[in-house]
Amino acid sequence: MSAILGNPMVTTAALPLLLGIVLALAARFALPAASPVLTLFWAALLLFFYWDTLGPPAVPPVAASQKLIYLAFAGIVIGLLPERMLGRATSFVAVIAFAAAFLWLGWRRLAGGSLDLQMIAALAVGLLTLIGAALLTARQPSPMPSPEEPFLAPAAVLALSLSAAIVSVLGASIVTGQLLGSLAALIGGWCLVQYVVMLRGGAAVWWSKGVEFLLLYAAATVLVQVALLAPKANPAALILSSLPPIAAVLVRGRLQGLLPGTRPLRPLVAGILIAIPAVLAIVTAIVWAPHGAALGFS
Amino acid sequence: MRTRKLIAALAFAGASMLAVSAHADNYEIDGQHAWVTFTIKHGIYGIAHGQFDDVKGAITLDKADVTKSSVKAELDVGSVHTAFDQRDSDLKGPDFFNAAEFPKISFESTKVEKVDDKTGKVTGNLTISGVSKEVTLDVKLLNEAQAPWDATLTKAAFSATGKVSTADFPMAKAADGFGLGPEVEIAIDLEAIKK
Repeated sequence: MSAILGNPMVTTAALPLLLGIVLALAARFALPAASPVLTLFWAALLLFFYWDTLGPPAVPPVAASQKLIYLAFAGIVIGLLPERMLGRATSFVAVIAFAAAFLWLGWRRLAGGSLDLQMIAALAVGLLTLIGAALLTARQPSPMPSPEEPFLAPAAVLALSLSAAIVSVLGASIVTGQLLGSLAALIGGWCLVQYVVMLRGGAAVWWSKGVEFLLLYAAATVLVQVALLAPKANPAALILSSLPPIAAVLVRGRLQGLLPGTRPLRPLVAGILIAIPAVLAIVTAIVWAPHGAALGFS
Repeated sequence: MRTRKLIAALAFAGASMLAVSAHADNYEIDGQHAWVTFTIKHGIYGIAHGQFDDVKGAITLDKADVTKSSVKAELDVGSVHTAFDQRDSDLKGPDFFNAAEFPKISFESTKVEKVDDKTGKVTGNLTISGVSKEVTLDVKLLNEAQAPWDATLTKAAFSATGKVSTADFPMAKAADGFGLGPEVEIAIDLEAIKK
């Protein structure tokens, strides 16, 4: 059993995918979508994967990687605020929380004062994730929601996490790559169940504002850390990885005309559109990987 | 009478202290002749080797009272190499030495103990990625001599060995994930120029 759990492919991909499926089934059959209990389940899973990949929290946190779990805690606290308190203020909270996370993670790099290509990319990633989070969390459900709407935020966080995971691993930051991979698989399991439900004629479960915030915050802060500190991470790939939340907002707006009329295809095409920058990020990272795709310690 | 004795005692103590401090020589680590190397177990296979090329620091050596000696050194994380570029990138990355956030590794002695005329133990704080841990190095003075080709150049040469654990620094998860360590053996050979 311990050998199975010790296998990184299990903890990075199979286990989170399975847990995402279980959580989606629980949301479908046992818990209301807006229930704080569901948010707590997401929070518990998130912390489990942080702990598994980064280790227990360091007191006090010194390195940026040690600060990530504290940022996840902060995201969970904000995510657990009552829906009526968050409401339209979520985007304002997102701007403050994202800016604070960037400064806390990057103050040593910022204090160093060097404005090299990696630092420019990190600033761009910080700004784009902040804008994406503010726009995504500001959107309210339509009075007559279309079938793709509950998938927009999960697809954005999934695409961001997956591309950031690959960019991170190829950029010599393997641990954060594992963490982002776990997040992607967890959300992938959720999306899979919701899509099957929709294909069977049901309605997909929405993420509450709290879940949306805490998962986006978790994935984006890890991406920001990779952008700030991974020496070989491809700058263009990092910037492209930060774009899916903005793409999700565009799919709800200007790009809506590209979605087909057929109900089962709408979430699929919306997901593909949201994933375009992520796919470009992955291709860029692989083609321009500094040492190919092999790992230095393999 | 008692006052005179006290003054005399203080004067003697002061003179003794001056005499002792006069024995303390200051050295600067010669970066061109410094090899800071480490070895670590690599998974289920063998032993991996690495080296830091950029070494700076100062040594105060008090031969009359070795316990008054001290060492302060700094390594540039960017200079680490292991004979494989990609592994070097991984080591400089956030999973291991985290060069972008913490570009230097430092060591500052807190205690020096004499073992015999040529050997001693130097205890100090080793700071890696912002985390400091106490480490004791077994140090040997190999030689101290004037250079035959330059009467103005006097050098001392030291060898030191010690052990640290990856578990003590913010690289424990990555090292564990790759089956590295946790024990890291350090071997230092360096020459220092008398100032």
